Amino acid sequence: MSAPVIKCESVYKVFGINAKKMLQGVSGNVDAKSFQDAGCIVGVNNASFEVSKGEMLVVMGLSGSGKSTLLRCISRLTDATAGKIYIEGQDLLALKNKELIELRRNKMGMVFQSFALLPHKTVLENIAFPLQIKGIKTEDSISKAVEMAKLVGLEGRENYFPRELSGGQQQRVGIARSLAVEPDIWFLDEPFSALDPLIRKEMQDEFLRLQGALKKTIMFVTHDFDEALRLADRIAIMKDGIIEQLDTPANIVLSPATEYVRKFTQEVPREKVLKIESVMDPTSDTKNLSDLKVSKDAIIETVAEKILGQEKPVSVVDSNNKVVGIVKPSKVIHTVFGGRKENL
Amino acid sequence: MEIIKKYPNSFQWLFLLIVFFGLCFGIDVPEGYKYIRSIAEYSKDPNLSSYNLFGIEVRYYAYDTLWRLPPLLGWLPIWVNDSLFFLLNDWMPIEFWNADIKEFQTRPLILQITRVISATMLFLIEFIREILIGGIKTVVAFTSWDWIDANPWAELPGIPWTIVTAGAFILGYKLNGKGLAIFSAITMIYISVFGQWKPSMETLSFVLVAAPISFLLGLVLGIWAYRSKRVEGALNPILNVMQTMPHYSYLVPIMVIFGVGDHAGAIATIIFATPPMVRLTLLGLRKVSPDVVHAGKMSGCNDFQLLFKVLIPTARTDILIGVNQVIMQCLAMAVIASFIGAKGLGWNLLLALNQLRIGLALEAGICITLIAVLLDKMSLAWAHKQTDYFANLSFFERHRYGIFFVGAVVVGLIFASVGSFYFKEGFNYLYEVPHNKGISGEPFWNAGVDWIWDTFFQTLKIFNTWLIQDVLQPMRAAFLRMPVVATFVLVMGTGYIVGGIRSALVVGGFTLFIALSPWWDRALVTAYMATFGVIASGIIGIIVGSLAAQNKTSTKIVLGICDTLQTFPSFVYLIPVMMLFGVTDTSVLIAVIVYATIPATRYTIEGLRSVPPALHDAASMSGVTPMQRLLKIQFPLAFPHIMLGINQTVVFALFMVIIGAFIGTEDLGQYILKALSDVKGGGKGLILGLCVAFIGLAVDNLIRTWANKRKKLLGLEDY
Amino acid sequence: MKNTINYTAKLISVFLLILTIFFVEAKADKSGVIKIAIHNWSSQLVGATVIGELMKKVDEKVEYVLMDSQTVYQSMADGDIDIVHEIWETQFGESYNKALSGGGIEEILTHDAVTRMGWWYPEYVEKECPGLPEWKALNKCSSIFARTDSNGKGVYIGGPVEWSQHDAERIKALGMNFVVKSLSSAGSIWKELDQAVKNEKPIVVFNWSPNFIGAKYKGKFVDFPKHDPKCISDASWGINPKKLYDCDNPINGYLKLAVNDDFKKNHPKGYKLIKHMNFSNSDIDKMANYVDTGGLAIPEAAEEWLKDHKDKWFIWIK
Repeated sequence: MSAPVIKCESVYKVFGINAKKMLQGVSGNVDAKSFQDAGCIVGVNNASFEVSKGEMLVVMGLSGSGKSTLLRCISRLTDATAGKIYIEGQDLLALKNKELIELRRNKMGMVFQSFALLPHKTVLENIAFPLQIKGIKTEDSISKAVEMAKLVGLEGRENYFPRELSGGQQQRVGIARSLAVEPDIWFLDEPFSALDPLIRKEMQDEFLRLQGALKKTIMFVTHDFDEALRLADRIAIMKDGIIEQLDTPANIVLSPATEYVRKFTQEVPREKVLKIESVMDPTSDTKNLSDLKVSKDAIIETVAEKILGQEKPVSVVDSNNKVVGIVKPSKVIHTVFGGRKENL
Repeated sequence: MEIIKKYPNSFQWLFLLIVFFGLCFGIDVPEGYKYIRSIAEYSKDPNLSSYNLFGIEVRYYAYDTLWRLPPLLGWLPIWVNDSLFFLLNDWMPIEFWNADIKEFQTRPLILQITRVISATMLFLIEFIREILIGGIKTVVAFTSWDWIDANPWAELPGIPWTIVTAGAFILGYKLNGKGLAIFSAITMIYISVFGQWKPSMETLSFVLVAAPISFLLGLVLGIWAYRSKRVEGALNPILNVMQTMPHYSYLVPIMVIFGVGDHAGAIATIIFATPPMVRLTLLGLRKVSPDVVHAGKMSGCNDFQLLFKVLIPTARTDILIGVNQVIMQCLAMAVIASFIGAKGLGWNLLLALNQLRIGLALEAGICITLIAVLLDKMSLAWAHKQTDYFANLSFFERHRYGIFFVGAVVVGLIFASVGSFYFKEGFNYLYEVPHNKGISGEPFWNAGVDWIWDTFFQTLKIFNTWLIQDVLQPMRAAFLRMPVVATFVLVMGTGYIVGGIRSALVVGGFTLFIALSPWWDRALVTAYMATFGVIASGIIGIIVGSLAAQNKTSTKIVLGICDTLQTFPSFVYLIPVMMLFGVTDTSVLIAVIVYATIPATRYTIEGLRSVPPALHDAASMSGVTPMQRLLKIQFPLAFPHIMLGINQTVVFALFMVIIGAFIGTEDLGQYILKALSDVKGGGKGLILGLCVAFIGLAVDNLIRTWANKRKKLLGLEDY
Repeated sequence: MKNTINYTAKLISVFLLILTIFFVEAKADKSGVIKIAIHNWSSQLVGATVIGELMKKVDEKVEYVLMDSQTVYQSMADGDIDIVHEIWETQFGESYNKALSGGGIEEILTHDAVTRMGWWYPEYVEKECPGLPEWKALNKCSSIFARTDSNGKGVYIGGPVEWSQHDAERIKALGMNFVVKSLSSAGSIWKELDQAVKNEKPIVVFNWSPNFIGAKYKGKFVDFPKHDPKCISDASWGINPKKLYDCDNPINGYLKLAVNDDFKKNHPKGYKLIKHMNFSNSDIDKMANYVDTGGLAIPEAAEEWLKDHKDKWFIWIK
């Protein structure tokens, strides 16, 4: 496996005058309360993780959990107080201002919750902005912007001003702008939180479609657990600056690491998260099987109806169409309804 | 005991007042102290006591320190002045090449710098002025007088008034449509027909130089303050003082440093107009959401790109409102700048007032006001105008207005040349209507003034006598009767109750400065006039404001009137009151009241209207009467904001009281005016100005602290 | 392409700016133009315009510079002003002498006009206050001059504060029962006077001669103890041994004209004109009158004077 694109080692972000001094010689999670007494606020507390190429890491947490701060440390919009951050092996914190600008111009793109469009520029000019900043000629940057506008479905609105667009459309502009320089790393800071639920769903689909085509390395911040489950390869759940758990959606739902994480997962419909793989049994009885075959990577919800329509267990196959196990309808019923009994 | 615990604040106040009045009555007026007219000021009277500081002798009347503090700061104005003199005349002589006498000359550095600044300013003003009304000095600056003598044709011709009018019309149309276009045209035609073209253009030329410079200066300082907390911290108190210093007091040091003339007027104007620009720039930049800044950074902007491509365009509206403020301040200074030699409408107005030709003054005043309102409306329209996208337009559509203007220039030139054939007697009315050939409303106005005097003389006189005898004199005596200790107790006690030790010390510090200056008595008179003005305009403003806030239409109308009145240069207010009340203290006070009522009314309306609608609904459902609604809901909630309005009222009142010195009041303002004609008046003018500023700042500190506390308590957002 | 144009434009404008500053500095002090000081009273304004017009007739270029009437002398010594033509002894003598002794000023002439400034009352006041114009008599009937805001003391209507009359000091030194009420302008004084005369009310105001008031109303100056130079420099002189200003203003004060030191060298033609000219009491009087009672604008008044006195100025410019 190739080297991680983003790598964090014990990153701390502490706000306050004595922050640096207080952190000297500290290791592990620090006690937020003792910092507070000293007039400091802990934003990110000992974050260590890696994101590999083409992976989407969703950082999930409630407001004030430090998730946006973490994202801004990694994009170096704020400087981390302590710790190491590597982008493709480069020490981010050691970069000089010029190098940092170069890095951002070529490797990074970011989408913001409030869209953060420039009010005096049209859709096209907004999208072309990072390119023009780089010094690319006006004609070239505009033609690239036209292409990007088409990619995010903004044809016909190229010459509108941001104030003339709906929220969803504005965020499309934001997405197009962040992709204009064809970055390798894509940061998204609660991109869909300011949108209406229906639009949000639509934009998530759109986003998945884009990611399917582009395969960027992504850090995505959200406070919406459902969104995280829908999009993530892996999820990091943060609370008070500490990453409580970092794992695949399935593992988080099945085995929450802390009480805090459990509270989120309780409400989650498992069939939406779990793959068939996690409910299958080993192949014991090969005769008494239904003709239906399902992929082991399928999300339960998508195949539940078909499985429940069968009387016999269904065989599970892997990507090579080889049978790796069976799944019983009763188990599916149990997953869909059983896990939430206590909430009824 | 119970009661004290229940209302601790009221008891603090009660205690404070008891101590204050106790001191007032307990301390006798010292023998030999006469009210005001015999002033404890620096003079050669041998009856005075004296002391030495840094070799400067300061004389004063020695009284009990409980009654009046000795003027320990009496040396300060002299010292400031000596330092100024030293910097200008002796410090760091440098050599430079004088092309005239073909020799090296020595001149002190600062003097050389100020000379270059003066010359540059003067050149810019002349340049624009000669574009507008023609002349030869610009040509001379690039050639020489000898060359001009040899080539008499070489003269800038000046733009015919028809073209300027058409230009204003087109600009008005472009910015805000028909209404503004027609108003622009009417303004220009009025100015021309009434023969005020030349002075108006002179005024305009100096605004056109001062405004862009203030704009740039303000923008740069604002950006600097945005980027560095330390700069902001240093700039803030300076801006505070600058914005509360009366206009006059800038004039003296500027006169000392830069001399007298249009350039000095422009420099005074720039100093006066820059602070609001700095503040609005800072405000606008602060308002840019951090996400937009981050978006800019993530797009790979360097600092420069971030500033010019992201921050400034995003803060455009606020910055352009800053431009509007700058222009307004420039016109407000138009009259005052003519005290140190700025030509134009202001100078005409001043001269007319000096000769007490009210009609003439009124005409010039109307012109300044029209120009002010016009520029105000134009710049606001510009600020609120959104950018348009032109990509799909044809060349003609894109440059429509430019083409129209070119057309207007051609037509205007044709008109002007036709005119030169038609009007044979030397005045081409299609080019410029000369000053004395325009229509003059003077006889009309004068007749009006005479009629008012003849008809209402007795009534006004009775009113005047009553006001002076029964209200002003006792009030003034009461203020002067305050022993200095009592004043300190009152001021610092109020500070303590409102904002704790910190406020008490700040306010006490301001007061101490004034008390130690030689002008405590004068400051008391200023304070009494301002207090009278503030009380009267506060009452009027709050009543008018509350009535107007009752429905939407009246709110809009009254706010509109406030807007318009606020664009009037402050000096203009003196003209009508002089018409009605002649040259008396009453005139000044009426002007103060009219002028200071504007912010009181505006803030009252804003405060009342900003009570959340949900609260109104809740109140309606509880079945309140309109009176109850006003008293129990709107007022308590709006009160902090109204107090901020009173704060503005204080500043406005102080300004007007000082300007009123022109009519002849006997307060600090009179001394500032006197310093204007004193070669060594620079230090005096500044320190006097500081005294006035400190009165304003002390009140500002008290009210602001209180209002902020109260707002926090009520959970209101900062407006 | 667009960027290049922008960049070039910026470069050129910066260059031009530097160039203008350079030029301006080089040209600013060129003394091609005669700078005549103008102040805020009518006779002076008209007189300055008259001098200006005459200068034009002898091919000099003229510029009028608005100046404070006290600080103007220092400015003249510094070379910012070329001519000041109405130097009244009483009012400006002190500032003028100070600047003169510092160097840089050449005194050209004393006009024929004789000036007096001081306390003045309309004739009818004598009826109510016998013994006038003696100041002691005035002091005795101070109460008839009292006003609502003067605590029973007599009110003396003074001129603008910047005219630096030492009336407050004089009142104190002579122990008079009066207060000064300083008005902002000459116009305001005349307005007060008009009002009082209309109702025949007692009034004593600041006035000077020559001006048009002498022609309009009959009246007299109040006589204080006779003026002596020592009175304003030596406290022990005069009635009050402890104070200055215990005397009158000079009764036959001068009216002078002075120029900057370099004027002779830079403007020989103008210098010749100045040397020959002279204003009399009636000239000053008329110039003020055109404006203050005739209602003419300053340039018209100057034109009018020039038209009426051709024979007079014709000799000056020869």
